[in-house]
Amino acid sequence: MVATTSPVPQKIDLEVKSNARWLVMPIFLTVVGIALWAWVSAQELDSIEQRTLNAGELTARVIEHLQLAAVSTLIVIALAVPLGILATRRAARFVAPVVLMLGNLGQAIPSLGLITLVVLAAGVGFKSVIFGLVAYSALPILRNTMIGLQQVDQTLVKSARGMGMSPMQTLLRIELPLAVPVVLAGIRTALILNIGTATLATFFGVQALGYVIFQGIQLDRTPVLIVGAVLASGLALLVDYLAGVVEHVLTPRGL
Amino acid sequence: MDFYKHLNDNAEYLFSDAVDHVMVVAISIGIALVLGCALGVLAHRSPRVRPMILAVTSTMLTIPSLALFAIFIPLLGLGTPPAVTALVLYALLPIVRNTVVGLGTVDQNVLRAARGMGMGPWRRFARIELPLAWPVVLTGVRVSTQVVVGIAAIAALVNGPGLGNEIFRGLRSLGSPFALNFVLGGTLAIVVVALLFDTVFILLRRLTTARGIR
Repeated sequence: MVATTSPVPQKIDLEVKSNARWLVMPIFLTVVGIALWAWVSAQELDSIEQRTLNAGELTARVIEHLQLAAVSTLIVIALAVPLGILATRRAARFVAPVVLMLGNLGQAIPSLGLITLVVLAAGVGFKSVIFGLVAYSALPILRNTMIGLQQVDQTLVKSARGMGMSPMQTLLRIELPLAVPVVLAGIRTALILNIGTATLATFFGVQALGYVIFQGIQLDRTPVLIVGAVLASGLALLVDYLAGVVEHVLTPRGL
Repeated sequence: MDFYKHLNDNAEYLFSDAVDHVMVVAISIGIALVLGCALGVLAHRSPRVRPMILAVTSTMLTIPSLALFAIFIPLLGLGTPPAVTALVLYALLPIVRNTVVGLGTVDQNVLRAARGMGMGPWRRFARIELPLAWPVVLTGVRVSTQVVVGIAAIAALVNGPGLGNEIFRGLRSLGSPFALNFVLGGTLAIVVVALLFDTVFILLRRLTTARGIR
């Protein structure tokens, strides 16, 4: 046995570091898109399939899907980030552990159950689905805002106060910029949850891409099912990729 | 108490759906554990494929669950097979990542000492590396299980087994007075199943952690 003396790895690389990583996803999605288009064009579509699989219908479904994800994510950001900031202020310090504990419990609630309960309470339609999505995706942003603010080095906060900054200035100029990477990660998680859960909207009166998938299942039409599933997956991957780019750009350079 | 009466009347169905739910999750997690550990060991040994394995497994978590369940229908038909396949793919990332992290934090000096004692590569892995990394791996399995218990509810939409069927029953009768009972019953039962699994993992962690690092 040859004795190899490898040094103890200080940090394990979990991510691709080279800049080429930004190219992988666009290339992959383009290839999948072309393959899907070529495959569907080669099929003889019957009248039922044509009703769902035409450019106008599919564009409408994609737009509905993006509307659901965008509106719900914006509402969640507007609600959960300020709440997270409030919960970590000195006066409300005791709230933080309770919120985090409830958050962990809340993760066990299935998305399908939560959305259905919200819709049962609020009625079928776009607004109710948005309520459901907001309820389901609030946790990651709330939690990451709190964790991001809590992990800021308290000596930095103290020196900022010592330099004469007001609590508000300390929050805006020191704490929030340092918490940005963690908060952004939470927002990205919430966005992906919303894109994924929006496929369930078809059961609550908003078609979106879940409609195409479920039509494929119910009518036993494989092309419809494949197009729906691939479009929904591709859309999620594309949005996640773009969110990753935005995350990279918005992270303060010092971090 | 209307809901209480509902639970009483439907206890039999609720229980059998809960058993199905537990079975589907347990089978998926079992497969994901074997597959995830193998991928994790591979990723640990080769720093070049490590980012690729992690990137692909994390991509799986991005794909909407209904889409992933549906995509396997043309290949595997309706019911349990597409459900288990999709759940295994969802469960991989936390297990693979924690296996890599767990193995990476094993003290190299301990491994050298084991080699010095005359242990071969296989015994070193089975007796030293794996037991030392195990608590971290098990935490990954626990995270995977929590994720999969929730997603398994969606399996009902592809005719899969489990408590999702209770929710789906309510969903189909949206507007009827029974809808709420079915949805609430199914949802609460899933939360109970999730808590049960968590308790089992706390026990497992006690029982399977090597005595020296407890």
